[in-house]
Amino acid sequence: MSIWTKVLYAVVSVSVATVYGLTLGGIVRKLYARVHGRFGPPVWQPFLDIIQTYSRRVAVSHGNMFFLGPVLRLAGGLGTYLFIPVIFGSALFSNFSMAGDLLLVMYFVFFGQLGMALGAGQGGHPYSPLGIARGLAQMSAFEVPFSLAVIAVAIQYNSLNITSIVAAQQGGFMHWTLFTNPLAVIAAMISILGMNMHAPFSIVMAPQEIPIGPPIEMNGSFLSILQTNRGLFAAAKLVLFMNLFFGGATNIIEMIVKTFFIYMFSVFVGAAYPRFRPEQSFRFFLKWPAFIGVLSIIYITYLGGAS
Amino acid sequence: MVSPIYILILSLAAGFLLSIIDRGGRKISLAVFYGVLAFNTALIIDWTYRFVFLHAPTLVINTAGFSAPVSINLELGMIQAFVLVFTNLTGLLAAVFLFRKFMESKVSSLILYLLLVMSVNGLVMTRDLFNMFVFLEILSISTYALTTITRTKTSLSAGFKYMMAGSVASIFFLMGVVFVYHFTGNLNLDFIHADQFAGTGLVALFMLTMAVFIELKPFPANGWALDVYQSVDSGIVSVIAVINSAAIGFVFYRLIPLMPQSFLTVFGAAGVITFFFSNMMGLKQKNAKRLLGYSSIGHMGLLMASIVFTIGAPSTVRYLIIGGFFVNHLVAKAGLFWLSGIVRQENIRGWAVLKNNRLLLVLFGVFIFALSGFPPFAGFWAKWEFVKVLIESRMFFVLGAVLTGSLFELIFLFRWLTITVKEDETQLEKITTPDSGSVFATSVFALLATVVAAGVMKYFYNFGWVQTLPAAAALIVYLLDFLPSKLKGFVSLGAVAAYGYYIYPLLESNLQLFFGVIFIVGSAINIISTLNRKNQNRGFYGFLLMMIFSFGNLLIASTYLEFFLSWEFMTISSFLLILRGQKAQRASLLYMIFSTAGAYLLMTGFSFAPALTSTSALMLSIEFVKLPLISVIVLAIGFMIKAGSVGVHIWLPEAHAEAEADVSSFISAILLKAGVLGLLMVAISCIAHAPSFPVFYWIGWIGVITALVGAFMASFQEDAKRLLAYSSMSQVGYVVAALAMITHLGWVSALYLAFNHMMFKSALFIAIAGVYYRTHTRKMYEMGGLISRMPWSYMTVLISIIAVSGVPPLSGFGAKWLIYTAFITKGWYLQAGVLFFASAVSFLYLYRLIHAIFLGQLKSEHQEIKEAPAWFIIPQYIFLAGIMVLSMFPNLMIRPLNSIAMHYFNSSISIEGLTVVSDLGYWNGNFVMHITMAIFAVPFVVLLLLRGKTQRVKQFNIVYAAERPESPETTHVAYNMYAHYRKALGGWASPRIENFWNGVAEWSHTLGDFFRRVYTGNGQTYILHIIMYIVAIYVVMGVK
Amino acid sequence: MISISMLSLILGIALLITGIFAMLTRKNLIRIVIGFSIADTGTHIIIVSLGYLRGRTAPIIDRAVNAADAVQKVVDPIPSALVLTAIVIGLAVTAVMLSFVVEMYRKNRSLSIDDYQELKW
Repeated sequence: MSIWTKVLYAVVSVSVATVYGLTLGGIVRKLYARVHGRFGPPVWQPFLDIIQTYSRRVAVSHGNMFFLGPVLRLAGGLGTYLFIPVIFGSALFSNFSMAGDLLLVMYFVFFGQLGMALGAGQGGHPYSPLGIARGLAQMSAFEVPFSLAVIAVAIQYNSLNITSIVAAQQGGFMHWTLFTNPLAVIAAMISILGMNMHAPFSIVMAPQEIPIGPPIEMNGSFLSILQTNRGLFAAAKLVLFMNLFFGGATNIIEMIVKTFFIYMFSVFVGAAYPRFRPEQSFRFFLKWPAFIGVLSIIYITYLGGAS
Repeated sequence: MVSPIYILILSLAAGFLLSIIDRGGRKISLAVFYGVLAFNTALIIDWTYRFVFLHAPTLVINTAGFSAPVSINLELGMIQAFVLVFTNLTGLLAAVFLFRKFMESKVSSLILYLLLVMSVNGLVMTRDLFNMFVFLEILSISTYALTTITRTKTSLSAGFKYMMAGSVASIFFLMGVVFVYHFTGNLNLDFIHADQFAGTGLVALFMLTMAVFIELKPFPANGWALDVYQSVDSGIVSVIAVINSAAIGFVFYRLIPLMPQSFLTVFGAAGVITFFFSNMMGLKQKNAKRLLGYSSIGHMGLLMASIVFTIGAPSTVRYLIIGGFFVNHLVAKAGLFWLSGIVRQENIRGWAVLKNNRLLLVLFGVFIFALSGFPPFAGFWAKWEFVKVLIESRMFFVLGAVLTGSLFELIFLFRWLTITVKEDETQLEKITTPDSGSVFATSVFALLATVVAAGVMKYFYNFGWVQTLPAAAALIVYLLDFLPSKLKGFVSLGAVAAYGYYIYPLLESNLQLFFGVIFIVGSAINIISTLNRKNQNRGFYGFLLMMIFSFGNLLIASTYLEFFLSWEFMTISSFLLILRGQKAQRASLLYMIFSTAGAYLLMTGFSFAPALTSTSALMLSIEFVKLPLISVIVLAIGFMIKAGSVGVHIWLPEAHAEAEADVSSFISAILLKAGVLGLLMVAISCIAHAPSFPVFYWIGWIGVITALVGAFMASFQEDAKRLLAYSSMSQVGYVVAALAMITHLGWVSALYLAFNHMMFKSALFIAIAGVYYRTHTRKMYEMGGLISRMPWSYMTVLISIIAVSGVPPLSGFGAKWLIYTAFITKGWYLQAGVLFFASAVSFLYLYRLIHAIFLGQLKSEHQEIKEAPAWFIIPQYIFLAGIMVLSMFPNLMIRPLNSIAMHYFNSSISIEGLTVVSDLGYWNGNFVMHITMAIFAVPFVVLLLLRGKTQRVKQFNIVYAAERPESPETTHVAYNMYAHYRKALGGWASPRIENFWNGVAEWSHTLGDFFRRVYTGNGQTYILHIIMYIVAIYVVMGVK
Repeated sequence: MISISMLSLILGIALLITGIFAMLTRKNLIRIVIGFSIADTGTHIIIVSLGYLRGRTAPIIDRAVNAADAVQKVVDPIPSALVLTAIVIGLAVTAVMLSFVVEMYRKNRSLSIDDYQELKW
């Protein structure tokens, strides 16, 4: 397959994921509104927002790094998504997964976050670094159960290759990691609550304390890029979780169904729980979820697990 | 050839005649006086020359026309000549030192001095016990009298206590002599044998030897000596501490063949106890001369212990040990006492006046280093061999006491040195122009120490010039120090290049080459940043070259000793470099203490190791050596101290932070790798010879915990350099953990990360050095917004932190990928989990670093600040280029590392084109780079096309609720940025390890203070101590 | 019956102990010096007593003892020689000590050893 075909496929794949991710975002807003007792915006509101921010007359910039921040953020989202094989066995959705394995994806997640943090930092608004400090700290905490779960998965399938991990889960839902290594999935699903930053872990953009958080200075076309990324990045994370823990997907419908439910988990939790204070959040991840992660490794190593 | 008996005759004759000659004027009598002393010295040097080079037989001189035992006979052999050369030389130079005193005092001082020197010669040469008593008494009486050369209340009372103690000892000696005669019927040592002292005879021997031993000032029966050291004139004290002690020590040495094993053991133990306790008590001492007194007493104890405990060793080794301790103590102590006479400051803090006199400061440094047993001085070799002997004869308690005592001594000596160099001297009275005689005498001894050192290295160990190069480089640059700094910088750069060119063909393996690149090429690039230094910048390049050369010498060292020698040179030079930092007193001291503790462990570890069978470099030949378990553990701890592993890391942040800005990069980027190198060597040996206890499993845990603790500590720092220091600790923790796996992939990743760390940490430290150069602060919250003023530095920090964090596509990700794959393959899952955590935490400090300095709000005082000077920018971008190339083509690095590790293991990765494939996964760094560039370019271009719409605004034009932001101080978020995390960690964030070491320090000082209370200052108590001590030893020895 | 040598030995030891006891307990500097002198004398007596042989005379060759049979007639000459030297030396030490005492008194107007303990620890 020539590289240009690959690129073309990637464009398609990214577009699908972005549209899907943004739609999910719309659904979530609707859902939250209902929980709050409002009707809420239409499901396509995120698209409208992007168009709206994009068409602003001017975009106020605080400097070159500020300018680059959203670009890096989107690049991070693109990269994360592009290094994941989205649909098992599909050339169209295999993306650039031949560049590296699971570790590459895990670390590429940081690319966008770091870039955004740098750009927001130059914005000079105190809420940005406050939000970033919270975000980084929380990220380091939820990385613990997540990485332990990933290690457990790597042990279980003796591979860090996402395609192989998905391949090993084929042949019925009882082969999913969810059932062969449930402890790891519990640990990972708790950490996705932190990743998605819904309550009780919504400390980064906590509206009552540090309104909007890191992107507070972002406006106009900068904001439109960030909003685009929000959809894409959400999709990327969900796909990764689906691949690692829920047997992957062999077609786009399966992908949509599975990721929808994975997402809804954190949305439901978010709708039901109040927000932690920052230190409560960090401590939370470092306690039970981390312990469950350790247990999952012990389970898979010493008690044999499924394999 | 003149018979040595003329020393006695001439001295006596001159002594009697002086009172007459002096009527003709002091100048004439002084001429005679110095003439005799010089004659003595020359004569004995002549004899030494004959013994050493012409192999003259031992000379026996009979008096009164009879041969022994009827007459008294003298003996002069190699050993006597050796002792006498140094005592006579010291006598001569001490007299030179005292020149002014001798000009002014009564002629009796001259006479007494001659008598003293005469009696020392007699004491050393005589074979007759009673004769010994007479010489000993002449020595004592003349010394007592000479203590009054300056009459103060304290010197008089000290002298009186000295006499009280001395007279009790002499009564004992006399009784001993007579009883020995009673039991053996003889007084000549040649005719007295150990077997004549059966049963009650032992009491006689006990009295004799005990009296001599008391004169050697064993703890705690030595309070009188301390008072004398503290109060008597420096010139005379040097005589007492050096000449008297040497002579009496020699008498003790002579009596050794008579003593049964029970005596020897007890005396040896008493010597060790003396060494240990006097050094411990010295910890609390602030008075310079009393401090030297504690050290002197300790060294005599060490000398006794070395005499006793080396009996079983081969004679050349034994002579090296005893002679080494002897010369070292003698030269250094005399020099320091003389310096105390020149400085005239009682409190060690007052010695800061030395800063005004460069020569004296250098001399002081030389003596302190010599006394602490650093190479190239004699004490180093003696200690090395002594440790070996102790281990071979399995005397571990002695070993422990000697090394701990040495460490105590090092602490107080280097506290003194660092205070001298760093304390503010402007409040102190300047040194009144010292008379040239004093300075001359002191300089000669420093030179002597160096010459002896060179002699030992050349003739005993047959070292080549490369081994001495580090020391020689420091010396040469010292002589060229008048040149401007920049010139010296370029010369140094050239010297490093030449050195690299020289050792390149000596490197036998790629592993050596790899470390060679880190050490030599890395250093060379780092040197560029030092070119920014102005003026003469004295002392800097000498130490820098010394450090770089000793790095290189580590690689080509082919024996344990060569390795250890280079290691110690490295410690010295890096210590001196750190010491140059403005407020580096505590930091450099801490570094020295930990380094030396590490060095002692290495010494012990190497001594336990079996002999090498190959002549190639130690790094390679160690592969075939089976290190015993104890050796593995001890060596590993020693090296981990240098690598800053958790628990023994507390020197690291201090040293990095307080060193000069451009020195820190050397310490972090290169010096820490020496620890890694050492640990790697131990691991190499353990591949084929796995120790019975899984040492490296635990080292692996220590490594990952170091990584985590370092990352957290870094996140909580306000000081940019401390942050980077803890970051280094964390990163080297990764390396240590990866090394400890002892697998192919583990080593590939360890070396990969080590190299990467060298590049990004050099770049970061130099960038921060540039920022510090402009802002004059290391506190990050005092900066902010510098991106607009220092964009080049910002770019360096940006690229470097991405490389540290492991975010793709830069080279850091390669390290992460390799390490996690290695850990999971090895089965160290939980460790990998901890590393993931550490790696996530590292984002906290990295962001803090770049945000607090470069982003956020620019401070008003930095509005006009300039970019860092080009000398800082150039090396940064060289390292950045390295990082970028490695990011683009990671296989450039992975391929050679793969082959290095394949020498020891089967390869666990395969390299297919640009992709690296492991058992678990794969990674194509090149492809990742391309994709990243593409996905960056697309939105970037899109945004650029909209550029017409963007509008730059001013600093405070931000969306700010309720209030208009006004001052950057209140708007810039940087101080205590992760307060919430600290809160979340609760008690885990408290500095337990630091508290632990502070506790250790406090306890040892308190204990030292407790023990020194035995010295009440009352002369009668001191006699009581002596008597009780004699009784105690009597009981312990079990003499019936 | 106690021999004369035993008697002098006991006397010597008694003197030695007395002297040292004096050095340990007397506060006056001069008394300490005297204590030393007594102990020193005790030592000398011990030495002489060790060399004493019953019924013999002093090892001085004069009219009473001629050189030929000296070996049978005199006591062991070496301890005697030692004692002579030791007495001289003891005298010298005592003299030096006393001169110190004089000088200390001049400087400090005190003869109590308790007034000379500022050097310690």
